[in-house]
Amino acid sequence: MRRVRLAIPAAVGLLALVLAASAAAGADGRRGQVWFLRGDGPVAVGRTAPGVPGLVRALLLGPTRAERAKGLRSTIPPGTALRDVTIARRVVTVDLAARFAAGRNEASLTARVGQLVRTLRAVPGVVGVRVRIEGGIPVGLFPGYDLRRTVRAPLPARAAPTLRELQQLLVDLGFMAPSGVTGRPGDETSVAVLAFEKWSGLPRDGVLDAEVETALEHATRPEPVRRAAGKRVELLLDRQVALAIENDRVERVFHISSGASGRTPTGSFRVYRKERLSWSVPFSTWMPWASYFVGGIAFHAYGYVPAYPASHGCVRMMARDAPLMYAFATTGTPVDVIGGRV
Amino acid sequence: MRLRALGLVALTCLAALSTTASAGVAGAAPPSPARPSGLVVALSLGDPAMQAGVVRGGEVVLARGFEVGLAQALARRLGGRVDRFVEMRPAARLLAGAPAGWHLALAAIEPSRAARSAADLSVPYLTTDAAVVLRRGLTGPRRLAELRALVVCAVRGTPASRVVAASIRPTRSAVLVRGEDQLRTLLRTGACDAAVVPAVEAGRFVRGHARELGPVAGRVASGDGLVVAVARGTGVDVATVDRALGRLRADGTLGRLARSWLGLDPARLRVLR
Repeated sequence: MRRVRLAIPAAVGLLALVLAASAAAGADGRRGQVWFLRGDGPVAVGRTAPGVPGLVRALLLGPTRAERAKGLRSTIPPGTALRDVTIARRVVTVDLAARFAAGRNEASLTARVGQLVRTLRAVPGVVGVRVRIEGGIPVGLFPGYDLRRTVRAPLPARAAPTLRELQQLLVDLGFMAPSGVTGRPGDETSVAVLAFEKWSGLPRDGVLDAEVETALEHATRPEPVRRAAGKRVELLLDRQVALAIENDRVERVFHISSGASGRTPTGSFRVYRKERLSWSVPFSTWMPWASYFVGGIAFHAYGYVPAYPASHGCVRMMARDAPLMYAFATTGTPVDVIGGRV
Repeated sequence: MRLRALGLVALTCLAALSTTASAGVAGAAPPSPARPSGLVVALSLGDPAMQAGVVRGGEVVLARGFEVGLAQALARRLGGRVDRFVEMRPAARLLAGAPAGWHLALAAIEPSRAARSAADLSVPYLTTDAAVVLRRGLTGPRRLAELRALVVCAVRGTPASRVVAASIRPTRSAVLVRGEDQLRTLLRTGACDAAVVPAVEAGRFVRGHARELGPVAGRVASGDGLVVAVARGTGVDVATVDRALGRLRADGTLGRLARSWLGLDPARLRVLR
């Protein structure tokens, strides 16, 4: 018991020493790190600075020219003056000039506190940061931070979306059925990504990579090319997708492959015949879930649906999608086949 | 003669002492009856767009936001200026019935019975209605009846969600989500046709997302609005404040402040009935 009693003051003393050492590193200039941003993500950069005040000054100075050339930036307004730095009970209180709170961009204001907190929390022994502006407590100036209290950690950087979240986005945008949200990669996701890539003008490979992820995070629901009430289908030959539309809202976007060399005619047609299993006489092949809309040309399921026009004129669809189109495009449903870039 | 001189000195000292003492409790003691040239305005800081600043010894310096701008414009209209801003926290203390240390309070105050009993309340300067933001590609609706047929979304447990249930009453199941980010995502992807948000936040909700979201279709009347509390016995007359607010509305100052800080002027939104 007595040993424990002795150990506590000893530990506190040791911590105080560590803090004092880092604060008084002015004499020799110690290695620390300051935090800047690259894109929206925080990045640590090494600095040799005289103690905690020196580190804060280095942060306020911002990235060097060479660092800026590498894409580093700081949200702290240039010329922000440091008024005071004190350390008590392992908490650093930084008093900054009013310039630190300049501007109205909420993301920038939040990020600059994040830079300061990250920089100081990286100092060994520091457990919290208090931010003061012109000697007072900033309230409401830095969204997300309650600076009436000691800040123990910066706001977490936005986490990358999970596969399940991306799949949900594909569903919400109309590129996939809700059954595709599994949290696991698979054929259904890949086909949905392919349809999304076609719609967005991205390389058509069906791979959910960073480029697709970024595009998904800013994508809006596809809109029909033409305006008309009721149920209808738009077939966009350039993008190689079919849109199932109801009252001007795109319900689903389907990955399709139309006729090679312009064999699918453009124009406005209607579904006039439907066959669960249709036999193609000229090509001697079965065409499941066929919805004919002009001559012998139909939407139907097919085993091979590449990302480019490949058929003899029909509209090939994935086996999973074709029954959905069959159910949607009842007899009489308008089908607009639209060529060229839209 | 000597006695009179001594008395004068004593009186002067007393006066000086009392001045120092009252300066020492700035913001706590009731302000002297109306001297429009130096108003004390109470704030309750927190919302970056409405009012924010630096609290130093009970006073607010570097104050900014819609309500701060409005207080300054109001003071000018009343023929003076804001002498100082003071912070009262929690906001409920503003109207606790204690002697006010301020002339005016602008702190997102709604005209409740308690507020009325504690101070004189002005006419509303900002609506507390809910606004309807549409998904891209949707241009209507002009009436509540048209809104009912859409997929309407709101943040769960907020006044906006209560507006959905009580005023809009959609025929399709409303979608209630955890937060504003999720609400924006559902609207962007078209999973929601319309998002209901507080009108004062609608501008900020769409800011930076103009290409992803549709227009703000209008507002659904759901509340009285935010008012200025005028402390009694300080000489500032609520009728004068009302007139000044009317002029600020008429000359476009209120609208400019709203557009500048809130992104749009909620009063200009069409009321959906």
